[in-house]
Amino acid sequence: MLDTAKTRWHPIAASYDLPFRHVFHAQLLGREFAVWRADDGYVNIWENRCLHRGVRLSIGINDGRELKCQYHGWRYSNRTAGCTYIPAHPADAPARTITNRTFAGVERYGLVWSAEEPHGRVPDVAGLREGEQLALRGIPLNAPADAVVSALTGYRFQPNGRLQGNTANVSLEGSDTFSVALRAYEEGAETLVVFFVQPVDSSRSVIRGVLDAGPQGAERLAILRHHNERLSKLREIAEREAQAAPQPAPLEPVIERVSPELAEMPEMTAHGRKATIRVTVARKWLAADGIAAFELRPVQGLLPTFQPGAHIDVHMPNGLVRQYSITNGPGESDSYVIGVKLERDSMGGSLCMHETVREGDLLAISEPRNNFPLRRDAVRTIFVAGGIGVTPLLAMAQALKNQNLDYEFHYFAQNQEQLAFPEKTALLGEALKPHLGFLPETTAAKLKEILSGYRPDMHVYLCGPGPMLEAARRIAADLGWPETAVHFEYFKNTNTIDDSSSFEVALARSCVTLQVTAGKTILETMREAGIDMPSSCEQGACGTCLATVIEGEPDHQDVYLNDAERKSGTKIMTCVSRARSARLVLDL
Amino acid sequence: MITLYDYELSGNCYKLRLLMSMLGIEYNTVPVDFYPGREHKSDWFLRLNPLGQLPVIEDDGLVLRDAQAILVYLASKYDPSGTWYPRSDPALLGEISQWLAFADGITGTASAARLHDGLFYDLDVESARAGAHRLFRILDEHLWFGEQERRDWICSGQHPTVADIACFPYVMLSEEGGVSRQDYPAIRRWCDRVKRIKGFTVMSGIFPAGPARAA
Amino acid sequence: MTPTKCQDQVVLDLWHPLAALAEVPAGFVQETVLLEERVSYATDGGGNAAVWLSRPDLVAGCPFEPGALTRALPAKVAYGYIWTSLGTPPTELFFIPEYAEPDRRRLNAATVGVNVSAPRAIENFLDMGHFPYVHTDILGAEPHTEVKEYDVELSVERDEIVATRCRFFQPKASTASTEGADVEYIYRVPHPYCSILYKSSPVDETRLDVIAVFLQPMDQEHIRAHMMLCVLDDENEDKVIKRFQQTIFGQDKPILENQFPKRLPLDPRAETPIRADKSAIAYRRWLSQKGVTYGVIPAAT
Repeated sequence: MLDTAKTRWHPIAASYDLPFRHVFHAQLLGREFAVWRADDGYVNIWENRCLHRGVRLSIGINDGRELKCQYHGWRYSNRTAGCTYIPAHPADAPARTITNRTFAGVERYGLVWSAEEPHGRVPDVAGLREGEQLALRGIPLNAPADAVVSALTGYRFQPNGRLQGNTANVSLEGSDTFSVALRAYEEGAETLVVFFVQPVDSSRSVIRGVLDAGPQGAERLAILRHHNERLSKLREIAEREAQAAPQPAPLEPVIERVSPELAEMPEMTAHGRKATIRVTVARKWLAADGIAAFELRPVQGLLPTFQPGAHIDVHMPNGLVRQYSITNGPGESDSYVIGVKLERDSMGGSLCMHETVREGDLLAISEPRNNFPLRRDAVRTIFVAGGIGVTPLLAMAQALKNQNLDYEFHYFAQNQEQLAFPEKTALLGEALKPHLGFLPETTAAKLKEILSGYRPDMHVYLCGPGPMLEAARRIAADLGWPETAVHFEYFKNTNTIDDSSSFEVALARSCVTLQVTAGKTILETMREAGIDMPSSCEQGACGTCLATVIEGEPDHQDVYLNDAERKSGTKIMTCVSRARSARLVLDL
Repeated sequence: MITLYDYELSGNCYKLRLLMSMLGIEYNTVPVDFYPGREHKSDWFLRLNPLGQLPVIEDDGLVLRDAQAILVYLASKYDPSGTWYPRSDPALLGEISQWLAFADGITGTASAARLHDGLFYDLDVESARAGAHRLFRILDEHLWFGEQERRDWICSGQHPTVADIACFPYVMLSEEGGVSRQDYPAIRRWCDRVKRIKGFTVMSGIFPAGPARAA
Repeated sequence: MTPTKCQDQVVLDLWHPLAALAEVPAGFVQETVLLEERVSYATDGGGNAAVWLSRPDLVAGCPFEPGALTRALPAKVAYGYIWTSLGTPPTELFFIPEYAEPDRRRLNAATVGVNVSAPRAIENFLDMGHFPYVHTDILGAEPHTEVKEYDVELSVERDEIVATRCRFFQPKASTASTEGADVEYIYRVPHPYCSILYKSSPVDETRLDVIAVFLQPMDQEHIRAHMMLCVLDDENEDKVIKRFQQTIFGQDKPILENQFPKRLPLDPRAETPIRADKSAIAYRRWLSQKGVTYGVIPAAT
């Protein structure tokens, strides 16, 4: 009987099976995997099935950073296997819980190892030294693993350096359910081979052999051919015997169901202002004059999938919470890189980041949230960044660049020294257009130039200081840009919040009516009543605490909604906005 | 201009579309209703090719049949680089002919299985599939050792040849005949490389590869 | 009668297509597979067909004598195809009124074998989001990937799913233009294994071309797909029209054959739907409600 223990490590590929931008089709105990190496070297082992419609991901595209499904172009991130983009709905950020099933993977002895629920580490193999071994060509065969193991115990071969002839002594050094170690001796030459038999299915296997030494040059090739020839013979016999024996039924791996939330397609939910992730400041450096950059690495496990435009809350040692955009390009999933500008009138947030936080420090951050999603169905995309507003747009531009989509990147700053992340902006090549030293009036003229020539299916993304965004939005409107094509993100809400009103809020789905008193926000009132609601900046800039208005007239005080959204009266930011009417009914 | 008598779903016709695209040759297409119309057995087509088989080309009054023969002709006449069919290298020409014959073997097995499953040809599909697996094992082993010797293509040398074009289509379409390529990782990698040759074009059933270089 | 291998009474009672009438040589026995049963059929050249469970004394290729037939299966000729049933089928097949319009071309684009379940193939037929990725530069092209909101309803009186107001960007939207534009589609699913789409005609913007797939389930994971065209076109030869449709279908084939599992899972938590999949969600629900079990993985109850 085949040992189908899910806890045992098995090789599922050789390292040479994962060349640049390729997707390897693997299988273990009946379960198929799509295995691919990202450009940063990370080996991804995923269920070979797109979560959307079950299409094999092994026929998808490895673009070096993400794996793209061949059927609908869904993109899944390096490392996390989280979906970063669904082309059918370009305006939406995919719910970040759409995550493919991933499996543990370790490269060792020239092989890639995995298991469904591995126990411990990939075991050490006596006699093999990492880096000195030679992995043989894998031999797939239509025979059950146990029969293959027993055939391999009788394997005869010549040691390296004495390949001619057939007279070497071969001793069985050890064997277990899925492996056999043999040593050949002849006149001073001696070679150890360890065979790992990968149980592909109940009656299919792959023999993965590793020698303890692999000389270079012509001899290496001769050794590989020597074993290939002998293993092919062994395969012939093993297959003939397997064919004569009764065929066991193929294994049927259990496919996990998606979460109930995904099956129902709800709104993305995130609760409260929680900092669930612990990160280390792996690196802190000056990204530009007055801008500190931080590379945040997870203390444990993987960071959640992010999309371009997403931000995180950083909980600082002094108790403050601030929002920073993730600047990473697609697939750069081993850390988050953020940029923090030292504000002259800092309330203690940026000052703390600049002066207190050091390399090696631990910080708590929230999961990334994306309230500034990037469409990728534009015929041309224009980015306009002002100062530190460059951060979300950098992530976006890298995503478009990776997909070879058309964009230009306008970056306003006082001087060359204030252009942040030069190593990232340099990658944008010709698309990068720095605009230095502009005054408000000249900025307006430049924006007119940039925004002239609107055509349908163009989109513009703006991020920068409030006055610049105001100007850019006005100019875009004058030049015929529809509001739906103008996307913006403010750093902060500089409106003076009038919280003097008091009114009633009815939550339709929760069947609760609450009284919002002067000085309290809708969000605070709901929280006090025990109603959970996601939030982030809590000043009307980031869009996290958005709610749908069913009835009543909102009193908008945020900078997140555009004019059309405000006029429609169907959305409200619950952290700052209030009601003009005596009663507001929300879809919560 | 060259005229290609063509059926979209034919891997043999695709060999010619593929090479002509890679060589940048313009051509006209005359569609032949191979299925369900069986137009390749019609009187007018049999006058062009008494074997009643696709593809056929006409070029400057020359009528030529057989995909492999036409590949040799097109590369000899239209490839200024002389790499697709290097006429001055007898050893390489020998290798190419050997693998062109191998490509015919793939047509006789993998393509036959596909015709059975997709277009209901009455033939022994189990033996066709077994034959395809036998050939794929040989090709995979050949390509795997090629990789060890830093050779990317079927034949020796630094460039792809008509042998790669001749073998590619029915390898790529094998799953339509129930012949999985899962056990042939070196073939799967070679398929990616063929798809990344400049001028590569697809046919129904074959998707393009992703970018080979960082964007 | 011997029990059938298929135990799904809903599916047994359906009409199933077997072959395009125009492609069947009259007067000779033909053989095919339906629901794992060998089935034979023949036509008389006058547009009539007979269908029966295959028997050793009437093998494929034999001249056909109607008198030799004692136990026949129900048979019908409709929309250019021969249909039969292994159960008790309804009197009428679903209605495609456009088929009767005299100025239309009516063709079988092809009958193609696909290693997939019928419901997976229907779902693919209803799907627009894959156009830029699978039918690149023909039915769609990046970056125009959005599936805009559309309407889906289950028509109670006709017991069929109808998706309307479907639009998708198509490069070279009509024969007259080289520019891309949104093309309109209407989809109908009047039968668990048959679907019809209506699409703006490239030659007459006031009318719609009709393209249908009628799927013949050979077993739960293998089908013969019959593609019917009923289009406005007085320019192109038949084979040019067929070639286009075969190209499209050939592009879908490797996707369908790489779907896993091959049978369509009806458990809502088996896969991840998005808004663009409204019609597929409705289709899966409809199959569940009808109690269809053949070619699907029923939801656990």
